[in-house]
Amino acid sequence: MRRRGFLKALLTFFGTVSLASFAYPLVRFFAPPSSSAVNEKVVLAKQEIPIGGSKVIVFNDKPAIVINVPGKGLIALSKVCTHLGCLVEYDKDKNRLVCPCHAGTYDLQGNVISGPPPKSLPKIPLRVDGEQIIIG
Amino acid sequence: MVMGEKIRNWLDVRIGLNELIRTQLAEYRVPKNINVFNALGTIAFVGYLIQAISGMFLMIYYIPHSDHAFKSVQDIMTIAPYGWLFRQMHVIGSNLLIAAVILHMVTIFLMGNYKRPRELTWISGALMLLLTFTFGLSGYLLPWTQLSYWATTIVTSIPTAFPVVGEYISRLFRGGDYVSGITLTRFFALHVSILPPLFLILMAVHVALIRRIGLSATPFGKSDEEKRPLTEFRKKTHPDGYPYYPYLVQKQALMVIVYFMVMFAFITFAPTFFFPEATTVPADPFRTPETIRPEWYFLAPYQMLKLIPNKFLGISMLIVVAFLFVFWPFLDTQKEKNIFRRPVLRWVFISLMIGWVILMWWGKR
Amino acid sequence: MGLYFTHDRVGNPYVVGKAMMLRTTLIACLLLFSQLPASAGDYREEFEKGFLTKTWSGEQPESNYCIECHSSDRMKPAFLEIAEQWKASWHAQNGIACHNCHGGDPKDPSMSMSPHRGFVGTPKYAEVPEFCGKCHIGILKNYLDSGHGKALRTSGSGPNCATCHGSHNIQKANIEIISEQRCSKCHPYERAKTMKQALFLTEKKIDELETGLRRLKREGVYVDDNARNLFNIQAEFRTLFHSVDVNLVNDSTSHFAGRLAVAEKRIQNTFSELRFRRNFAAFILMIFACMGATLYLIIKTPKD
Repeated sequence: MRRRGFLKALLTFFGTVSLASFAYPLVRFFAPPSSSAVNEKVVLAKQEIPIGGSKVIVFNDKPAIVINVPGKGLIALSKVCTHLGCLVEYDKDKNRLVCPCHAGTYDLQGNVISGPPPKSLPKIPLRVDGEQIIIG
Repeated sequence: MVMGEKIRNWLDVRIGLNELIRTQLAEYRVPKNINVFNALGTIAFVGYLIQAISGMFLMIYYIPHSDHAFKSVQDIMTIAPYGWLFRQMHVIGSNLLIAAVILHMVTIFLMGNYKRPRELTWISGALMLLLTFTFGLSGYLLPWTQLSYWATTIVTSIPTAFPVVGEYISRLFRGGDYVSGITLTRFFALHVSILPPLFLILMAVHVALIRRIGLSATPFGKSDEEKRPLTEFRKKTHPDGYPYYPYLVQKQALMVIVYFMVMFAFITFAPTFFFPEATTVPADPFRTPETIRPEWYFLAPYQMLKLIPNKFLGISMLIVVAFLFVFWPFLDTQKEKNIFRRPVLRWVFISLMIGWVILMWWGKR
Repeated sequence: MGLYFTHDRVGNPYVVGKAMMLRTTLIACLLLFSQLPASAGDYREEFEKGFLTKTWSGEQPESNYCIECHSSDRMKPAFLEIAEQWKASWHAQNGIACHNCHGGDPKDPSMSMSPHRGFVGTPKYAEVPEFCGKCHIGILKNYLDSGHGKALRTSGSGPNCATCHGSHNIQKANIEIISEQRCSKCHPYERAKTMKQALFLTEKKIDELETGLRRLKREGVYVDDNARNLFNIQAEFRTLFHSVDVNLVNDSTSHFAGRLAVAEKRIQNTFSELRFRRNFAAFILMIFACMGATLYLIIKTPKD
């Protein structure tokens, strides 16, 4: 009878441990992702980017470009080409973003015009507040 | 202790808890010669429970859209803490579950327990197996990988073998001419909201029937009195058997633990067993992978369809086999339950199993 | 259907009646199926296409007339090997076919080599850089500014892309392309050797990380983001090389080393995460094993 009691206690112990080893992952799984890098904002002065001009920034650890498109205003796009991850460059004369690696070409809205990229460049939200441009 | 007693009393005066425990656990007796295979049904039940719970967790991060499905599943695997655990349990669980259910049906078949008065129990079980396959099929597409995309393309092309209506059925599944984002949302709805209630109904019927009709005695050994003419309902009881609790409950718990152990043995030692390389590549409708084949449990019918030159004949045969399978209790009218006294049936069974394994192995190559 | 008869005693009138019915059905089925192949060729063909071969949806390189002609007996021996060479190339592995470089129309045999469809057969020696630079624009820019490019433009005899990389059977670029045999065809190997030394460590690191990523992929980890990052580093580094300016390479090596270290850290973290997962699963496995053993002992222990 003592042996049985001991075994039952042991079983309860293992049962509790196994429950805990599912409960802990579950709590971690449900917890909202930490919001450290996500809300990072980049602030630029408006005069830094004249019409037709551009500025390269680092947004969430990744290179991005802010362009003042003539007639359309400001836009912020990721610089990382969606094909193989090279950094696209702004061709001011042709109004295009061109990837140096395999000639992927995007328009200034980030849409693919030609070349191998599978999808458009991600847009980054941007707003103008007085003399400031707030990205993110 | 006092608190526990109070709660128990509170429940007892309201729902008659003590009587429930007495009649359902202590006085519910199971045959003395019951064996571990009788726990397979319980394993299947727990297996479904694991699928349902882990599936709920996965749904928290999964996005059923062709643009995001792949990424969201990869995020579950890499970014969400312990997401990998629940996904592995869901994926490995689905395969183990199907294996357990097949094993369950095979043992029931071998013990002749599908025979009258338990025809309805068998039919509900067989339908549940078919639903489980549909669960597997629809769930397979959701990660939106190359493997899932092309395996689904193959499977949804099977109905085209039907003349006239085949194209339409295929289009109905795909929501268009080929597998696309529309197919994904269809399969998602099927997987998480259409199949589960159907399945739960069948499961309720199945369990209620088992309880109502009573467990059948294992046919081996003493001859079975169930050969009596079936003229009136008589619940099968085992007055000289063991009480359900703790005798069978312990065995069932042990088998469930073994099920978990097999699952975690897979996660520990072969985490990529169900994740071939094509599952790390997002679906690409413009590029067919070198080898495409459906899940292991569809390999045999798939290979059979491939071998039969007339596809309509092939698919008709599949349907006939499915019908034979579901309505088998009505076709097998002999009263003898012991398969050792039925040489013909035994050989038919063995050759069917061998044929299944050969087809599966052939299809895998 | 045969299954049915196997275990019923013959002579039971009920069974015989059913057997008759079955036989009739069987004959009807036979008739139906024997008629079908002739009457329903279309869907059957469609189905077999879906089943036995690979095409079902989307685009396939259906009929490529470039490959067809260049593999046929009528082709000049010199041009006959092109298709085979291409098939073994890095371009082929990445889905870059004849018309991506040479233009023309691979689907239309009459127009396949028409200049109106942009066909260029063999580019002139001095035009090869522009030919390849249609896609590799970053490298073209650095090359044109380099000693190699200037020599080609002024004297027409400098090395072009094909001198080092070959044509058609173009393999994934690696540091072994810089070899005494190749470079000393035009100039002493010494300068190339310094370049190779300058590249060596960075290239080796990139190679290592690529191997790591391949291993991770086999472990079922989605590595595309990391792979893209690595490709970007590698591409920038190699563009730099095409300037054939050793000082430039030496100056930027520390910059690239820093970026590679970040990439390496990420890959190592993923590996240790995989190890953690294995240990965690093993722990749960162990707990269940203990539970099972305890329960087994409880079952085996008599009540009193």
